[in-house]
Amino acid sequence: MDPTLGLSHALHWIVLLPLIGAAINGLLGKRLGRANVHLIALGVIFGAFVISALSLYEVSFGDSSRLHENWWHWFTIGGIPVEMAFAVDRLSATLICVVTGVGFLIHLFSTEYMSHDEGYWRYFAYLNLFVAMMSTLVLGANLVVMFVGWEGVGLASYLLIGFWYTDEAKAYAGRKAFVVNRVGDFGFLLGIFTLVGLFGTIDFAELQVAAARVLPGMVLQGGLWSGWTVTAVLTLACLLLFLGATGKSAQVPLYVWLPDAMAGPTPVSALIHAATMVTAGVYMIARLSFIYVYAPTAMTVVACVGAFTAIFAALMAYAQNDIKKVLAYSTVSQLGFMFIGVGVGAWWAAIFHLVTHAFFKACLFLGAGSVMHGMNDETDIRKFGGLRKEMWHTWATFGISTIAITGILPLSGFFSKDAILHAAHVNANPWFAWVPTALYVVGLIAALSTAFYMWRMFNLTFNGERRGMLHHHAHESGPAMTGPLWVLAGLAVGAAVWGFPRHGGAAFEKFLAPVFEPARANLAKTYAFAAEQLSVAAPALPESHGFGDMIGGYLVALIVAWAGFGIAWYLYLGPGRGAPARIAQAAPGLYSAFANKFYVDEFYDLVIVRPLKGTARVLWQVVDSFAIDKVLVNGTAMVTGWIAQIVRYFQDGNVQRYAVVMAVSAVAILWVFLG
Amino acid sequence: MNTVPLAHYLALASALFAIGLAAVLIRRNALLVFMGVELMLNAANLTFLAFSRNLNNMSGHAIAFFVIAVAAAEAAIGLAIFIAVFRTRNTINVDEVDALKY
Repeated sequence: MDPTLGLSHALHWIVLLPLIGAAINGLLGKRLGRANVHLIALGVIFGAFVISALSLYEVSFGDSSRLHENWWHWFTIGGIPVEMAFAVDRLSATLICVVTGVGFLIHLFSTEYMSHDEGYWRYFAYLNLFVAMMSTLVLGANLVVMFVGWEGVGLASYLLIGFWYTDEAKAYAGRKAFVVNRVGDFGFLLGIFTLVGLFGTIDFAELQVAAARVLPGMVLQGGLWSGWTVTAVLTLACLLLFLGATGKSAQVPLYVWLPDAMAGPTPVSALIHAATMVTAGVYMIARLSFIYVYAPTAMTVVACVGAFTAIFAALMAYAQNDIKKVLAYSTVSQLGFMFIGVGVGAWWAAIFHLVTHAFFKACLFLGAGSVMHGMNDETDIRKFGGLRKEMWHTWATFGISTIAITGILPLSGFFSKDAILHAAHVNANPWFAWVPTALYVVGLIAALSTAFYMWRMFNLTFNGERRGMLHHHAHESGPAMTGPLWVLAGLAVGAAVWGFPRHGGAAFEKFLAPVFEPARANLAKTYAFAAEQLSVAAPALPESHGFGDMIGGYLVALIVAWAGFGIAWYLYLGPGRGAPARIAQAAPGLYSAFANKFYVDEFYDLVIVRPLKGTARVLWQVVDSFAIDKVLVNGTAMVTGWIAQIVRYFQDGNVQRYAVVMAVSAVAILWVFLG
Repeated sequence: MNTVPLAHYLALASALFAIGLAAVLIRRNALLVFMGVELMLNAANLTFLAFSRNLNNMSGHAIAFFVIAVAAAEAAIGLAIFIAVFRTRNTINVDEVDALKY
């Protein structure tokens, strides 16, 4: 039997199956009926999941560490062949299993959640399309295929945010997401061009080989970047690619679309805007880690933007009263943590947090969906309270996930978040010595904030007494909804075993180590370059840490997590009840700054949207309507008309007068040419 | 053998052409205008033949035949048009046939 189980010829089915599902459901779904649409949508995702799981098994335990499939040759441009090629290594195998696995659970959840919606077939077509595009993004063996997926998920996200398009606000939210993402995608595209200009290839494996050959301080001779140093070009490329990541992964300054994206159906928020799509930026940086390590400035920017986003979004979550908005800001904040991870070279920790976050945040979003399902689509947590009695399954799974996200021992979030914080703390940054400490402190404050707003939301929703909708009996959701909730909660607990620090690193760290080996080798070169340039000793490469090294950090993190829990308990359940309202009254300016998300949307509106609209108006009314339409187009016709008014009298119908003109002209011409 | 010099032929042709042109430009009767055209065509013919003889090249003769053929065809069509015009307007005075204007 083929040692790779023939898997390298089956990779394209991971993409193709959901795509077929999307086509069938999208074109025929209305006629197929609900049961068939569900069957097709779930079936294709399950098929994709089986292939994904087999490839994960193969790269984990099989003979080959990387599966590669050249599906078809797409085109050649400038001598660079662009293949529709897919590759699976341990990194993409992990991701693809999360995408299809969590994707399957969310499809299952949706069968019941969307059971009252007329557009269910459209919904499942879009959802399948999303999984196909996300698989393309993750499996793409080169930058162009990744970009196809990158744009594709943007499209699917747009379609699903604006799913209820008859509501203008929701259609607008979809448009906002698409436009903001396009800003980032532009940077991503320029980043690709920059890399192609330097290395002349788009294939990840070839890029890795090419990147291993260069040295950071090398000055380039010839080509697009002649006269630049490798570090300079790669810093530019990495910053441009990171701009793409800030768009897709909702980081400052392009995070503004994600909170509005909650206009979509809640399972969509769980799948796209929490578990998978928004982590694409983290994945992209981990994928290109061997290039990012050459650009220490870009790495520092990534980490700092991540840290700033983590704290900024966490603060904005304090005063949100919409259960989905709180989760949205929480997602932005957690993505910030992941970017700290990739920014300090703790790629495994970032990916680990990505995976655990996918589990517990998907569970939280689905839990929120379950609450909304039981509460007549109400999302205001001020009207909830005491739902524990009525919705036991939702309460339990939501609670488990909240424990996981706030980083309380021994659930997965604790290990993944602290792996990132610890790596940030011990990271060597010869250029900016203050950064590691700053990242650690900001990360801890963000973790404290996370614990606070998550427990605030949990307490307001499930504990205490009902505060609104007093006569509405909340009903627990059915098994198609509680089932995925329990599976995800179980995963949020169980994933902890991969992150438990042992001698020689956590299980997940060892698992991903081969993928990041080239990055470590290149990082050593960057450190040597730094030592030479700054005349300091070359910093040691980041090492894996056992339990003994991390116990101090763990204690601090635990104190922080329990402190957040304690504050939330005190203010919303304990003796301090009513204090938040008093604070809001005492400092109305402060409160409204929090509640209005620090006026960032208003700021963007003032600085970008309005000037753009103004410019567009000028271009429309002055340039187009007046200059082009009136002056140029109609003007030409008008002048022609005026001249014709006069000149037309030359045509008086008298043939002989024409003949005279002709004869005189002929004579004149002869005179000129012969005379 | 005494041959008539080329210049004489050309002088005659020019005269014929001028007379024809004058007829075309001055006469009001369409038939007479038409005759003027024929005269101009024949002036051209005469030039062709004169040069043909002078240069010992037979192409001029051939072209003259073409011109005669074209003149014949033109005459047929032209006369047909005049008849049609006369039937509708009762005149073939070209000054009065000026509906196609402005």
